Amino acid sequence: MKILVAIKQVATLDEDFEIRADGKDVERDFLVLDMNEWDDFSLEEAMRIKEASADEVEVTAVCIGAEQVDDVLRRGLAKGADRALRVWDPAIEGSDPIAIARILAAVVRREAPDMLFTGVQSSDHAFAATGIATAALLAWPHAAVVTRLDYTCGANSAFLQRELEGGLLHEMQIDCPAVVTIQLGINTPRYASLRAIKQAAAKPIELLSLEALGLSAAHVGPSGSLSQVRRMYVPEKSRAKMVEGSVTEQAAALAAIIRERTGGAA
Amino acid sequence: MAGTGALTRILFEDFSASAVWLFYAIAWTAIAAFAFGVYVQVRKYRRGAAAQIGGSLSGRFQAMVGLVLSHRTVGRRDRPAGVAHWLIFYGFVLLFLGTSTITLDHDITGPLFGVHFWRGDFYLWFKLVLNVAGVALVFGLLYMMYRRGWLRLPKLDYARPDRSAADPDFDRSGYRREDWAFLWTLLLIAVTGYVLSALRLVWLADRPTVWDYRWWSPVAAALAGLMRSCGLTAGAAGLGRDILWWFHGMLALLFIALIPVTKVKHMFTAAGSLMLRDPEAAQRLPRVPAEQQHAGARFITDFNWKQLLSLDACTKCGRCHEACPARAVGAPLSPRDVILSLREFANRTLSSAQIPAEAELDVHGKGPGQVAMETLWACRTCMACVEVCPVAIEHVPIIVQLRRKLVEEGQMDPQLRKTLQTIHKTGNSFGESKRKRAAWTKPLPFAVKDARKEPVDVLWFVGDYASFDPRNQKVSAQFASMLHDAGIDFGILYEGESNAGNDVRRVGEEGLYEVLAESNIKTMSAARFNSIVTTDPHSYNTIRNEYPEFGGKYVIQHYTTLLLKLLRENRLEPARRLSYRVTFHDPCHLGRFNHGYEAPRDILRLLGCELIEMGRSRANSFCCGAGGGRIWIADPVGADKPAHNRMREAAQIPGLEVYVVSCPKDLTMFEDALKATGNEGRFVVKELIELVGEALEQETIGPDATVRTPIAAPPASPPSRPSNELSQSA
Repeated sequence: MKILVAIKQVATLDEDFEIRADGKDVERDFLVLDMNEWDDFSLEEAMRIKEASADEVEVTAVCIGAEQVDDVLRRGLAKGADRALRVWDPAIEGSDPIAIARILAAVVRREAPDMLFTGVQSSDHAFAATGIATAALLAWPHAAVVTRLDYTCGANSAFLQRELEGGLLHEMQIDCPAVVTIQLGINTPRYASLRAIKQAAAKPIELLSLEALGLSAAHVGPSGSLSQVRRMYVPEKSRAKMVEGSVTEQAAALAAIIRERTGGAA
Repeated sequence: MAGTGALTRILFEDFSASAVWLFYAIAWTAIAAFAFGVYVQVRKYRRGAAAQIGGSLSGRFQAMVGLVLSHRTVGRRDRPAGVAHWLIFYGFVLLFLGTSTITLDHDITGPLFGVHFWRGDFYLWFKLVLNVAGVALVFGLLYMMYRRGWLRLPKLDYARPDRSAADPDFDRSGYRREDWAFLWTLLLIAVTGYVLSALRLVWLADRPTVWDYRWWSPVAAALAGLMRSCGLTAGAAGLGRDILWWFHGMLALLFIALIPVTKVKHMFTAAGSLMLRDPEAAQRLPRVPAEQQHAGARFITDFNWKQLLSLDACTKCGRCHEACPARAVGAPLSPRDVILSLREFANRTLSSAQIPAEAELDVHGKGPGQVAMETLWACRTCMACVEVCPVAIEHVPIIVQLRRKLVEEGQMDPQLRKTLQTIHKTGNSFGESKRKRAAWTKPLPFAVKDARKEPVDVLWFVGDYASFDPRNQKVSAQFASMLHDAGIDFGILYEGESNAGNDVRRVGEEGLYEVLAESNIKTMSAARFNSIVTTDPHSYNTIRNEYPEFGGKYVIQHYTTLLLKLLRENRLEPARRLSYRVTFHDPCHLGRFNHGYEAPRDILRLLGCELIEMGRSRANSFCCGAGGGRIWIADPVGADKPAHNRMREAAQIPGLEVYVVSCPKDLTMFEDALKATGNEGRFVVKELIELVGEALEQETIGPDATVRTPIAAPPASPPSRPSNELSQSA
């Protein structure tokens, strides 16, 4: 029995950063890379199911990306994942969530897990689409924003709870195999000690090519995507300003601003 | 003393042969029981892991003998107990040597070689010495009884802060009974010895070789005189002697038989522990061998045999209990109880012929003898317990080894977990970008050299707090100005510096510590410098004591010694004298860990300050509560905090103006504590650097010049009312 956990390496911005010359992303040098926080929770959920199971359960972590994503896969291995898969081909560069979902669906077909866990969203691009799109491509049942999951690996159905707006909770039963997108706070992810991470460095990371997944360059990257980034930029700072001082001073400052905006006519 | 040559005491006088045989049979049984007990104990210790014991055996032995004979560690911070123990120790040793002498004469040299030396003048002096030794023993024991029964010292209260009354091992009455039994047994042996001796004098009063020499055993002679004046006859005395002889003998043999299984064994275990002591136990924590599967101690057998032996050395003297800052504020930790728990655990699991299954060897948890997670996380690794322990128990490495296992399993405060992840990601505990590490240097009117790019004489290892904490940044800027003004060729590592790892290691995250140490050593090995100075005692400790094991061998000093040198050589010249009344807080890692007690005090005196010591200073300095990673774990809401406890202590000094610290974490902790304890406005907390800056009349860097504000200034006038109130009234 197997649970597949999709992991993404996300970027956070360093103090000062620059936009890439093509204006579509941040210059890579200014990014600090880390595991997507949601994926930490979905991996933990899988680990808990594995540990609670009487039967042997394999937790496989999969990440799509170039060599640098090995870091997050190692973290997954350090936390107890049994296997780590990395899918990469230069053609994947520039994929939107639909193209990524296509790759993930191909991994699911190859690995035949009992369940696919993804995070609700990634903290950098926040499309919140990959998990659900993968379910659609696989024609699997799915549930999003799951805050509680009662599932025994190999069972035909799972009981789960979802978070809705306005403090409402939604309890559902879902047929399995299914795709579940996991919300923050569903559990407390374990700590991967540095020792465990170092020891995980000795474990293999299986590299999958597009061919191995039965895909071609046309299925991925910009050509396999339904959307494209046109521009990434920092909007101009808003011009809100606090007016301070005594009432007289405030009134004078306000009048000055109005005069300035209206070209001195007031 | 002519004609005394034949004087001696006839052993077993008037005993039937069978009675003598019976005595020998019982004596041999007692010795056999003792030997078996020793075997069981040694087998228990040998079930521990291998231990690395450095140094020469004879050197260690000599050092131990020196400590035992001088009683230097026993009398610390409890002089009366030290004196009483000295009396008991020397009394007991002499009496033991006395009994051994008789055995040697009667059972070895006599029967084997026909040599008897226990006679004549030697015999008389022997009696006198032993009589005096017995008095010492009795007085020592009586004081110990007085101490337990009447003084009711808190440190002798065995109530456990880490358990509640409902827990099965809360009740420590067994220990109390054992203490009393120990004292009473020794006292009875000593007193019956005197009475026995006196009865013999009365019984044999008509024999001049006995009676005429009675004052060589003055206590017995006085007792005998009393007995005779009460009308005791020789016959009755002879009968009494027979009965008491057996009582005294059996009690002494029982005592011997029980040594290995009672607290009496500290005679051997404490000596062993002192002999194996590691003077750097807390300063340089043990490495985790790369091939070891799990980090830290999970099972009792993960401790090494030396540690298992030292658990048995504890006599529950309570000095660690008294010194522990966590215990002082009511946290669920007493170093004594950690040791006693583990000892009880080892006794229960490792004393029988077979070791139980692994599951039963797990020392983590809340069961009897186990150590709870809350207990381990309460520790500040301030080393107060290790420092004061008279028998060289090394609590801190034990606690850190237990923590390593908790870290491996992620059983820690969420905030701490987050901080460790942050340190891994950014190299600092503030979660700031590496690039911002040297941002504090920007307002300086001169450029601070990048030691990675050009050679410097002195490399300044700044540390996290001094680099990122806004309050400490000002101090850093001042220190930089001082180095600059004194013409020191110095530089820093800019973003190449990472958290030194001292506290990460003490948290128990050994893997992360290795990453940090290796990263800093790599950066420093690429830089060219002659020596290191650091403003952070925590970094100072790990670079000085722990980096060498990772290949980083440097000459390093804390800023206090460098500043003292610059002041003494007039490279920094105070422009005015500070006549503040100050007290100095010894940072754990500068003072207790590395004995840097004098330099900061010398500087204060040199500046003209009047230094008033707090009750707890130097080796007994009281931790601010930030050590061992506790600065990254919030103290429980509403609970007392070590820093508050310390502030209240300082506030007792009449007319105190400045509470001087020399550690960035101390500055943070105590400025908070000053406000929280309501002492704001009464005195101020200052870094020593700030006082030096003030004496130098140094221009301060940064927007608000807190350093130049008059000390102990009255609280600022109440803040002006917010403008919206004005607009309402308008």
